Amino acid sequence: MSDPQAKYGSWIVLLSLVSLAAVVAIAWGEYSGHRLLAGGSVGVILLAYSFILLFLRKGGFTGV
Amino acid sequence: MYSRLLARLLGWTLRLDVAINRVYPEDFNPLYYTGGLANLFLTVLVLSGIFLFLYYVPSFNDAYTSVQFITATVPYGVIIRGIHRYAADGFMIAILLHFFRNWFTDRFRFSRDEPWISGMMLLLFSGFLGVSGYVLVWDTRSQLLVSMTAHTLGAMPVIGGYLESMFIGSAGVSNLLLPRLLYLHAGLATFLYIMLWWHYVRIRHPKVWPPAVWTLFSLGLILLLTGLLPAVSQPTARPESTPGTLAVDWLFLLPYVGLKVLSPLVLAALAVVIVVYGLYIPYQLPETPAAMGIRDSGVAQVIDANCTGCELCYYDCPYNAIVMTPSPHPGVTKAAQARKLFAIVLESRCVECGICVGACPFEALELPRLLESDIQQKVVQACRS
Repeated sequence: MSDPQAKYGSWIVLLSLVSLAAVVAIAWGEYSGHRLLAGGSVGVILLAYSFILLFLRKGGFTGV
Repeated sequence: MYSRLLARLLGWTLRLDVAINRVYPEDFNPLYYTGGLANLFLTVLVLSGIFLFLYYVPSFNDAYTSVQFITATVPYGVIIRGIHRYAADGFMIAILLHFFRNWFTDRFRFSRDEPWISGMMLLLFSGFLGVSGYVLVWDTRSQLLVSMTAHTLGAMPVIGGYLESMFIGSAGVSNLLLPRLLYLHAGLATFLYIMLWWHYVRIRHPKVWPPAVWTLFSLGLILLLTGLLPAVSQPTARPESTPGTLAVDWLFLLPYVGLKVLSPLVLAALAVVIVVYGLYIPYQLPETPAAMGIRDSGVAQVIDANCTGCELCYYDCPYNAIVMTPSPHPGVTKAAQARKLFAIVLESRCVECGICVGACPFEALELPRLLESDIQQKVVQACRS
């Protein structure tokens, strides 16, 4: 794996972990009635996914 | 001077594009998708607006309470309200970016005047939708907005009184105000789609949606803001007292801040001048090829004998200037003899760009004063020299 791929790959792993934490926050927010936390966490997941898509492309994993 | 200013602004815009393209892949540059982003935010606004509409009660006594009910009691109501509020901000930001980008990059000339005029209408209606949305909450801010709007409309000469009573529904503020504004809010939001059809009708391949990266980013940002800064109302409106200060939303309520330093009449006159100038922008600069100092190639002509009806020119023309009709008779060349369709160039839409000439593999299109053979000759000469 080339250097840029390793760098962007690390970011993708980190953002995946952030997404996972946001999923836990959604579940906890729903369970405890903290809907703003749950809603905000959905936002965090979508933001993380947007950057994952970007880094997949910039790292050369997808696209041209 | 105006041309020089536009040229300078074009340079800055292109430099900004280059800077962004260093960070993002070129097809992810958000400035290429400002129209698509506005469309995305509008879709979110309509969907969340339908949800809010189901619970909203448009009367002085119940409007504020129904909004509080949506926020505090309806499942996910606080989230949907926040989404509606922040999508409105995103919509206005995307529209303004789209407006300035197209202005600074000269994309209002020739047949692009229609997208420009319809875009101006979209901008105006969107501003009104934002203000009416704030009034529907019926808190102290709404009360002040109604008072300031009525005062400004009333200050206009001759038609002022008529406009004021048309806005508030009677001689004074009555219970008719909120139902009227709700109708205008929802009705104009629907009307935006008619304006959008007009906006797109002359563009062959409009980018109506941003790439997935920016769709996810925009939706994520809206939801994150909703969670961090939930949309809240000001204290409830009290008709017996007039609130002193306006809680300002700088995107939608900026003109109202102007009332601090300008009289209502001057503000109304300024608004009219800005709108009229905005509509005049496409016609401000010279448009004839001679005045612009550019080539005068003539409207593209279809060579009947060669046209095979393949539709390549129809799909490639970015200005929708080519239509395909049933062929009245066969062509002359072997490929054209079996044609079912025939290309026709609409003179009023053709900008003489020559894209169709490049698209046609059958030499069935020509610009009369810039023939393909002449261009080939120039290219060969340039290559040799």
